[in-house]
Amino acid sequence: MGFFCFGKGDTLSRILSVFTVAFFLFFAAANTAYAMHITEGILPFRWVVTWFAVSVPFVGIGVYHVKRKKRTMPSYLPLVGMLGAAVFVFSCFPIPVIALNGMATSHPCGTGMSAVLLGPFVSVLVAAIALLIQALFLAHGGLTTLGGNIFSMGILGSFSGYFVFKIAQRCRLPLFWCGFLAGMVSDIFTYLGTSIELGLLVINTGGSFFKATAEIFGVFMMTSQGVLCIVEGAVVGFVLVFIYKRRPAILFYLGVVKDDTKPM
Amino acid sequence: MMPMDFFHHTFSDVYARQNNWLTRIDVRVKLFYIISLLAINLWAKNIFIPSLFLSISFIVLFSIRIPLFAILRSMLIPISFAILILIIKGLHEGEKEWISLSIVGCKMTFREEGLRSGLHTCSKVLGGISLVITFSFTTTISRLCAGLKWFRVPNTMVELLALMYRYIFLLFDEVSTMWTAQKSRLGHASWGKTIKSSGTLCGLLIMRAFDRAERTYEAMYVRGYDGGSILTVNLSPWRKEDYASFIGMVFIAPMLVYTGNVYVW
Repeated sequence: MGFFCFGKGDTLSRILSVFTVAFFLFFAAANTAYAMHITEGILPFRWVVTWFAVSVPFVGIGVYHVKRKKRTMPSYLPLVGMLGAAVFVFSCFPIPVIALNGMATSHPCGTGMSAVLLGPFVSVLVAAIALLIQALFLAHGGLTTLGGNIFSMGILGSFSGYFVFKIAQRCRLPLFWCGFLAGMVSDIFTYLGTSIELGLLVINTGGSFFKATAEIFGVFMMTSQGVLCIVEGAVVGFVLVFIYKRRPAILFYLGVVKDDTKPM
Repeated sequence: MMPMDFFHHTFSDVYARQNNWLTRIDVRVKLFYIISLLAINLWAKNIFIPSLFLSISFIVLFSIRIPLFAILRSMLIPISFAILILIIKGLHEGEKEWISLSIVGCKMTFREEGLRSGLHTCSKVLGGISLVITFSFTTTISRLCAGLKWFRVPNTMVELLALMYRYIFLLFDEVSTMWTAQKSRLGHASWGKTIKSSGTLCGLLIMRAFDRAERTYEAMYVRGYDGGSILTVNLSPWRKEDYASFIGMVFIAPMLVYTGNVYVW
């Protein structure tokens, strides 16, 4: 059997085969894998409205938190802006995809870290702004899918990461493991959120929501993103330990650690 | 290796700072257009409207001398997503077999309904993203912030957007320098080292961001900042052309919605 076996319409099949292989080669050779943002035009109108309706209250509470704190502590706004910019830059770090033997790189979400440093509501606000910048200036994500992306990355990512970090701290785990769990769980929930949003799209076509969600989530986890969750967790853990060793005052100031924290 | 190179090239407002007929259009009109057209693009039931948006966006961008390479570079990720959607839908949706082929022994059957549906979604992705990049290639962040403020987006959010955007470039440069230094000292020789080096690098990034935030606040404080608004760009009153563009959209939108609802294919 040859490399290609054609059905009907040989010329068309040949073109299609070459096109398909070229596409897969393009993906295999692609330098960067971007998967957690739903791109422009994918979500139908009613889901666009739904996800915006879900996300807006959380962003509103985030705005309220910053506004209230800004009144008593004017230095809070530049601090959030700067840490938000730092987390945005962190989210652009190239991390090798180990499953693809380093052929491609992916990038972290960063919401776990921003939730630990700034709290969940402010982290949702920072994620919303970061997603807006990415959608407008990098064509990564989209404006109509902004609500959906805020839900998965901002809301699910921030709250899961924050609560896991707090629970891990209560269990008196060392700081590295608290950061590791926060980074990893926030990533997993981000992908779960994206899978749910995409899985919901099959309801209209008579497909099973749970099956579709499980399949999409499975594909995410089995390709680059499963390993990325662990890698991002490790990076967040190292970040917190590094800051704790060099400048613990920053973590005390932000209320991330207490006096009896063990770094590793 | 470095997506930061990609970001440096793509993440640039050099075209938005040029003086041409599109950059001169009021940001409020542009925001109104982009929101309306994106909604119509989503609403469209055929591929005609998204394809129209894609073609017009290209024509408009060429008219202000944006290089094709810059447009394609910005659209690279969405194009790859669109093609992926086309292939996945073509393989999984529908019953009627359109074509089958075998790649290294693996049989792939593309179905007609799936390909049609995939092409529809694919056209929406490309149509939508072409509108967004047309907006971003012609609007600076300061104008965008002023426009968002006019549309009653909370001040705090707009101020944070301005602050974050302003410092992203600066922090990118610092990180790029540190990354190169780490690489030249074999800090990325293995995966394990890469993870640890990334942790150190990001830790340094947070520490520098914290210090810079303090310095920025001090600079703002000596200039009279007391927690109030930091945005100073004000929009000029609407001109005749802006009113004309606004009214034009009000007339065009129903026609586009009607055309989008026709089942052409």
